[in-house]
Amino acid sequence: MGNIIKTLDVTDSLTGLKDVCDLENGRIAGKIFYDQEIYEQELEKVFARCWLFVAHESQIPKTGDYITTSMGEDEVIVIRQKSGGIKVFLNACPHRGNKVCFAESGSTRGFICNYHGWSFNVEGNLVGQHESGVYEDSNFDKSKWGLKEVAQVDSYKGLVFATFDANAPSLKEYLGPIAWYMDALFDNQEGGTEFVGGCIRSTYECNWKIAAENFVGDILHAGWTHDSAARAMLGGSVAKVSDFEESYSVNWNGHGYEFALDTVGNVAVLGESALNKYLHTIKPSVAERLGDFRSNMIGSVSSCTIFPNFSFLPGQNTVRIWQPRGPNKMELFTWVVVNKSAPEEVKEKWRKGAMMTFSPTGVFEMDDGENWEYCTKTAKGRVTAQQDLFVGLGMDTLLTDTPLPANVYEGQLNEANSRAFYQYWYDMLNSRSWNEVPNRNVGKQEAE
Amino acid sequence: MEVIEKVFLCKVSELAENQVKKIDNAEFGDIAVYNLGGRYYATADLCTHATASLAEGDIEDDLITCPVHWGQFHIPTGKAQGFPCEIDLRTYPVEIEGDEIFALIEADPALIAKG
Repeated sequence: MGNIIKTLDVTDSLTGLKDVCDLENGRIAGKIFYDQEIYEQELEKVFARCWLFVAHESQIPKTGDYITTSMGEDEVIVIRQKSGGIKVFLNACPHRGNKVCFAESGSTRGFICNYHGWSFNVEGNLVGQHESGVYEDSNFDKSKWGLKEVAQVDSYKGLVFATFDANAPSLKEYLGPIAWYMDALFDNQEGGTEFVGGCIRSTYECNWKIAAENFVGDILHAGWTHDSAARAMLGGSVAKVSDFEESYSVNWNGHGYEFALDTVGNVAVLGESALNKYLHTIKPSVAERLGDFRSNMIGSVSSCTIFPNFSFLPGQNTVRIWQPRGPNKMELFTWVVVNKSAPEEVKEKWRKGAMMTFSPTGVFEMDDGENWEYCTKTAKGRVTAQQDLFVGLGMDTLLTDTPLPANVYEGQLNEANSRAFYQYWYDMLNSRSWNEVPNRNVGKQEAE
Repeated sequence: MEVIEKVFLCKVSELAENQVKKIDNAEFGDIAVYNLGGRYYATADLCTHATASLAEGDIEDDLITCPVHWGQFHIPTGKAQGFPCEIDLRTYPVEIEGDEIFALIEADPALIAKG
């Protein structure tokens, strides 16, 4: 198989990372958000190895349906096969490297490069070129020059992930027990979920990790950062998270989910009572499907990041990837996810609600953007970049006696998930292979 | 025009509606035979632009789309529809005898001229 992607040689890990990422002592430094060398290591050791979200199955239902996206800074095409499977190709012609697909999505019989007319079918095979005779005269072997195919592709509950690394663990193993929590949004009704509307793209002058970490476990910022946005949408401030009787931060392999059990705290900020009502209506059937515990999470105050850069908010139903575009630049791709079985007017309210709150013009998104940009920009200062930043909340909150799966920490006002996220990032940057990545998971693989 | 050979293509029953089939022919070049809503046509199978078998392409109304660069030809006349297909496709009159489809190979006027 000549079209499978070439595995990269591993470069040496950077020295001195411990000085800027020391989670045992609950501290990081701004250098990790601004340093070009660190960024280059991330592209290789995080984005070229980890499972990355690339599409939702509902975006490409039929043979030849495709979307284009990127895995790290590598542009890819995600396309449905005749067999029903999905392939992911580098969006680059194997002749001179020109981009072969310029559209964001569509349905096609293949891709033809603008440069020399190399033509590829849905399976990525090279089927011909302009002036094909001269290639035949050179004994050119077409079968070796198809689009380069990404090593592994797999789905979880409609979410399609891919990895460049043939040696990466399976998606199931990678997600671990966090998948159990993801079901609260992605598998709470028969028929599963779908994306509605298109992909909304925007850019930020911030490092991607700041955003990913915000969703992995930072609800702490909401009551302060988003106060004015909440007043605009709700006519009052956001829920006081410290008042919740029961809430958790759970993590695994750098993924994290922080959540309360209030059912509708997140959906409420969309200011659409019909959506609160919908969640209350489906809740009994969710309880039957997933149990009482997770039925309380369907739209509760909560957020999740799957390492490294896939995040979502149950309730607001925004799904996103934080695309790295240099150490101090990020491109945000967002979509709106809904239950397939939801009434059309409910889907439409979600689409509009997400636009009002978590889109480039969304009132919550704007609040976050400014903070994230300045968390990054201050690290431009050589001295500032080396100073300790505190990530030490909830150091002793691990719950050892709980029926819940994953590494479970008490309370969602807690930096346990942020530490776990940066720790996994640190571990990836320090590991030459997957075998070297330390297993820091202490919790249960499955719910009891 | 002088018919120099009558080539058996396939049986009517082997060619469903709106299908195209490639018939190997070493002497005159491979032939593509089409069933467009019960009307039968035959053209050269090799695209006039680059190496490609038109029988592997898709039929859209009375056009055949080349599977390689998606250029199109008008099936009844062989007329090339535009870049990258600029040269018309050779067509062959078709004769049906019972269940059998034949292409009538006519003397190529270009070859006669070169003589």
